[in-house]
Amino acid sequence: MLKKVIEVGYGSVQKVLIGDTQPLAFITGPCAIESREHTFKMAQSIKEICDRLQIQWIFKACYDKDCRSSPDSFHGVGLEEGLKILEEVRDEFGVPVVSDYSDPAWAKATGEVCDLLQVPAYLCRQTSILRAGAETGRPIHVKKGQFMSPWNMKNSIRKLESFGCDQIILADRGTFFGYNMLVNDMTCFPIMAKNGYPVCFDASHSIQLPTSMGNISGGQREFIPHLVRAATACGINALFMETHDNPPKALSDANTVLDIQYLENVFGQAKDTHAMRLEMLAKYGEDNVHPE
Amino acid sequence: MSTQNKVFRVEDVMLPIGEFPAVAPTMYLKEALEEMERSRLGIICIMDKEGKLLGILTDGDIRRKLLHYQKPFSVFFIDDVIDHSIKNPHTTTADMSLSGAVDLMEEKKIWDLPVVDGDGRLVGLLHLHPAVQALLQHQ
Repeated sequence: MLKKVIEVGYGSVQKVLIGDTQPLAFITGPCAIESREHTFKMAQSIKEICDRLQIQWIFKACYDKDCRSSPDSFHGVGLEEGLKILEEVRDEFGVPVVSDYSDPAWAKATGEVCDLLQVPAYLCRQTSILRAGAETGRPIHVKKGQFMSPWNMKNSIRKLESFGCDQIILADRGTFFGYNMLVNDMTCFPIMAKNGYPVCFDASHSIQLPTSMGNISGGQREFIPHLVRAATACGINALFMETHDNPPKALSDANTVLDIQYLENVFGQAKDTHAMRLEMLAKYGEDNVHPE
Repeated sequence: MSTQNKVFRVEDVMLPIGEFPAVAPTMYLKEALEEMERSRLGIICIMDKEGKLLGILTDGDIRRKLLHYQKPFSVFFIDDVIDHSIKNPHTTTADMSLSGAVDLMEEKKIWDLPVVDGDGRLVGLLHLHPAVQALLQHQ
């Protein structure tokens, strides 16, 4: 089976290779761009952690959170200001950046700044969103919708490919398990990987309890380390984690973002688990206990 | 011409391209099954853009897959048809004698034989019913 390696990063930033036997890549940052000052503070702290761990990373922060449960929730700093801040982060830290885009009209501008474009899970099958992302020429990170089976994500891939995009990463962020509850089916990683593209685990959204708190989502972040170890052992190529220096005060996803004081611990475990996974791959070969 | 003295060749009775299902390898299995149902044949041929035969899928293959892989239909349906196909099927050529081809079908216990040219390109499909009918008329 062909296993694609996706290169994220243009220009002078540190390029990140994702896929096959590459080191685990980390996509991390606050959920939302809260301010220029806060974004830079987070980027600086994350950089120090990733430098110590010697891991490759992509900075993530969104300029517009269009899927909030309440009209009163923080929506974001907006397209123009947000992209300006992300561009400055890129320049200052030499790191690739990613933001999601919830409107096809935002894709072009996002692609002019961001090294990676992210399709929100709720929008993963929207043709206009996928077409607009593909047309930017940037790699596309598609979150599997909580309502989608991992095998049906092939339809999103086929759409992107039909629009000329062959630089795709698929992520799992949990699957609806009744109401207000998500579950992670670890078989989704080999199933989605069968498409030949790298797979990613979105840890901080997977422990979300969607809209469980009335007009906001709750979460069980105590389970992040367990799920991270499990997903990494199952062969993910990238780990996605939202983090914050003061989660209770986070303007978006306050109940799910990982407190940055634990980030090094969790990322370190993920890095080590991935290294063990690669060692086992070299020693025992690909999983093939029920051949065709 | 009387059929009494005719030596039938595969090309005399084979279904030409367009009269049996022949699809791209990336077609979803569900769509391939629909093609098979429309054609009322128990086989579908898979070919590349140049028309080279890549594999076949038959009713029997599907039965065996369902028993071997007990995954939900929705997973099967979205698989590429090539994933479940027989990659090195028995084939024949257009100029082969019909009786020889039918003997091969009897020996292998199969109902259909893809017909390929010297470059492995699909040119037709030999289905057992018209083949037998032609041979019976010849007797």
